[in-house]
Amino acid sequence: MAVLKIGDTDRFLVLSALALFVMGVVMVYSTSYIVAINRFGDEFFFIKKHLTYAFIGLVMFVAASRIPYTIYGKLVYPILLLALVLILFIYVPGFGFKAGGARRWVHLGPLAFQPSEPVKLAVVVFLAYSLSRKAERIKDFYFGFLPNVIIPGVFIALILMEPDLGTALTLSALVLIMSFAGGVRLRYLLGLFVPAVPVLIYVVEKHPYMLKRLLIFMDPWKDSLGAGFQMVQSFLAFGSGGVTGVGLGEGMQKLFFLPEAHTDFILSVIGEELGLAGVGLVIVFYVVFLVSGINITLKAKDLFGTYLALGLTVMVSMQAAVNMAVVMGLLPPKGLTLPFISYGGSSLIINMIAVGILLNIYIKNAEEAS
Amino acid sequence: MKKAKEQKNYLKVRVFFVLAFFIVAFSLVFLRAFQLQVLESESLKAKAARQHVRSVSLRSKRGDIYDRNFKELAISIDVDSVYARPTQIKSKRALSRALAPIIGLKASEIRRSLSSGRGFVWVKRQIDLDEAERAKIAAMKGVGIVKESRRYYPNNGLASNLLGFTGVDSNGLEGIEHSYNTYLSGATRKISGGRDARGRLMLFGDTGNVVPVEGMSVELTIDKTIQYVTESALQSAIDKTGAKGGTAVVLAPATGEVLAMATAPGFNLNDFRRTSPELWRNRTVTDSFEPGSVAKVFVVAGALEEGLVKPDDIFFCENGSYRVADRVLHDAEEKGWLSVSNIIKYSSNIGASKIAEKMGRETLYRYFSAFGMGTKTGLDLPGETSGSLLDVDKWSGVTLHTISFGQGVSASSIQLATALGAIANGGFLMKPYIVKEVKSGTGKVVKANNPVIMRRVISAATARSVRDMMVGVTGEGGTGTKAAISGFDVAGKTGTAQKPDFEHGGYRKHAYVSSFFGFVPAENPVLTIIVTLDEPQKGHYGGEVAAPVFKEIASKSLTYLGVTPQGDMHPSYGKKRGAAKALRSGVGTKEVSLRRGFAPDFTGLTMRKALRVSREGDFDIKMIGGGLAVRQSPGPGRPLKGVKSVKVWFQ
Repeated sequence: MAVLKIGDTDRFLVLSALALFVMGVVMVYSTSYIVAINRFGDEFFFIKKHLTYAFIGLVMFVAASRIPYTIYGKLVYPILLLALVLILFIYVPGFGFKAGGARRWVHLGPLAFQPSEPVKLAVVVFLAYSLSRKAERIKDFYFGFLPNVIIPGVFIALILMEPDLGTALTLSALVLIMSFAGGVRLRYLLGLFVPAVPVLIYVVEKHPYMLKRLLIFMDPWKDSLGAGFQMVQSFLAFGSGGVTGVGLGEGMQKLFFLPEAHTDFILSVIGEELGLAGVGLVIVFYVVFLVSGINITLKAKDLFGTYLALGLTVMVSMQAAVNMAVVMGLLPPKGLTLPFISYGGSSLIINMIAVGILLNIYIKNAEEAS
Repeated sequence: MKKAKEQKNYLKVRVFFVLAFFIVAFSLVFLRAFQLQVLESESLKAKAARQHVRSVSLRSKRGDIYDRNFKELAISIDVDSVYARPTQIKSKRALSRALAPIIGLKASEIRRSLSSGRGFVWVKRQIDLDEAERAKIAAMKGVGIVKESRRYYPNNGLASNLLGFTGVDSNGLEGIEHSYNTYLSGATRKISGGRDARGRLMLFGDTGNVVPVEGMSVELTIDKTIQYVTESALQSAIDKTGAKGGTAVVLAPATGEVLAMATAPGFNLNDFRRTSPELWRNRTVTDSFEPGSVAKVFVVAGALEEGLVKPDDIFFCENGSYRVADRVLHDAEEKGWLSVSNIIKYSSNIGASKIAEKMGRETLYRYFSAFGMGTKTGLDLPGETSGSLLDVDKWSGVTLHTISFGQGVSASSIQLATALGAIANGGFLMKPYIVKEVKSGTGKVVKANNPVIMRRVISAATARSVRDMMVGVTGEGGTGTKAAISGFDVAGKTGTAQKPDFEHGGYRKHAYVSSFFGFVPAENPVLTIIVTLDEPQKGHYGGEVAAPVFKEIASKSLTYLGVTPQGDMHPSYGKKRGAAKALRSGVGTKEVSLRRGFAPDFTGLTMRKALRVSREGDFDIKMIGGGLAVRQSPGPGRPLKGVKSVKVWFQ
């Protein structure tokens, strides 16, 4: 891996993910050490946990890159079932864990994770399988459209019930984009918005804080000490950083001004400490990852591989784009982590598995080519 | 097959659509970052700085004030201040209700401060909470406690006018607290950053910048016991005579150190806000008054010094009535011929006038000036008055005469005590001082005051003559017999001055400033004391109302200091602090000459003086024992030859 050549997409893919991960480790430490000293008396408290997850993720990554991706096609229904079981665990007393008014976490022994993360992966596998099987009949409403909507729809509904609007919406977008790429008629897809609107209204009404978030998003400065506090603090962080940043570890905003600084709002800290240069670098790495993923998509020999690669690429890129848009106030707050960078176990592991599968698709394709 | 390929091409197009979608999305994100970090950077930076800097001024713990024996006069104690972060509070109403009984505020008041719209508010500052109360507050969300220091005066009203007090922002407003504020308050540091959103101090990076520099402690020349004796004697005299107020100053004549300084009525320093600001002034320093007969001492001193009169020269005192220009001068007692000594003893205005006539305006003016009339003493307390001594060109026909018995001239108590000190110590006008040392938190001496001779006013012989005459005042038949202390020779002078009538001109009929000043033991004085009473109602002669106060202060202080009638000092006091002996040192102690590379002669020096001498040389000093230096190694004048420290034994 000493020299990178154009066309070595796998290296671009792996290196971009690795670069983002390394930035993540540095930034998670820089962001969390003061909070860690304060809360736990150990400045390495968060970074230790982060690296533990990263190690698990690395093992999974290596494993995923070795397992032939075609096996997921064959195991699509067991995978779906497993995902269903995981997400239902949330509602099982003793496993489900409520944090911040929402049931999003499951405790399994010492591990705590968000089932919505593996669900995303399962939905991508299912869609890739389903879209690649339909081929000719993809334009058909009953064969091409309905199954690709109903099965993910069940999961989306379950996630919506947690409630986790952010993940539900990004998963919906993921389904739309994959279906679109798979050739499902655009008018069917657009038609989905008709039933989606009342559902959204219902969910938002049931959880008033979501509406509040939405309104605050329009003008966070209006209530900069209340509901808009987090957004305003994020803006201040970006603004304080300027072009070159205040220097690694020197940021002020993470000192409790910016809640969730080491998870959802880690890009704000990057913006403050490393400036536009740091933020630009992060974006560049995501673009490299995106282009590499699309390249693998296009070079995949079979349709399942194509859709799977596309789905995984979109899954990561979507979350990255949405998270960045949120912390800069382009989208209302969602509660999504920044792939590879944020502190957050389940998300990091799932994303590393995604890179492993992408790599395997590339390898299989290269083997066939030679 | 063709169809499959066509389909694959469509797929490719759709994938490129997806790619384009994300490229656009990432570009938008970058543009937004550019907007925030370049275009709006300045204004956001300023806003961020405001929220960080707003809460990062660090106030040091204020330094303590001690008396000369390290007894605490003013200290800083830790108290609790309760703050709130309103944004973190769920129910302001519930919280206010819960907090109200603990901190003793009305729930509605608390709610008002919580609703001020700021991110950080003080709910109540500087209160005493017990452990249980602290725990209750700690359990509430959005509320917290920080330790602040509050000024506390352990002796309540003692030395109130002298010490002064601080405002809630910990700035000295009066007295020593004011004039030494820069030392006491230490360095208030402003650092950019350092407190987190919860208002807690965060130490990170260069912690050296964050550690507050503790205020320095100030050690006064005041002796708490003498101060107490002085204040209570003054207060009981006021109670007895119905005077409006009074002042008293006790000086060490040899050095100019202020041992006590009292203004009555005083006030409780821990509750100063409840008293009228009228009472806050240190009137021994800020207010001047016409001294009356005590001024005769300076007239006689000048005339003796100039050789114009001798103690036994006699003057005709006109049997109590003497016409000068358009005025007729009177004496309280009608006398014929009086010697100079007896003019002092019986306090004859006419006699003093005649001596003044002999001196002439210029000479009299020169001596009054030399004794410090019309000039501030330079004591480091706020608001000192210079008194008034009319310029000699402006004297009218009768001024020479009236000034000779203390009318038409005014001075503060501290001025008069300083001037009298020059007679007590053999002729030197010493600059009075009240602060001995200022020490940093680490114990390093930052500022030290030492005796300063302003000038020699009269010769030692003249001083002796005047002293002898003043002893006569407290002797049989004198005006100040009530100041006499059995076993001691007391040198003193009474004063009874009518108060000027500023509305109608002239003097008020029944308003007097009654005073007495003197020093003991007359032979070898340790204390110079002045007492003034403002408008005493029961009796108004200085010898009647002020002299007993002098006596009480002097006798109690002498007992306390262990001064025997023979003039010896009780050994325990001197040994303990080296302080009482220092009362007599200062003037007359030899000057120590320093030769580089040789040990100076420390013998006979106080520890403080020895320390000062050593600081000028290039060696350290190791002091053993206490008191005065008796032995040293290497010996006086011996070459140091690489010896880094000189050992000095004190006894």
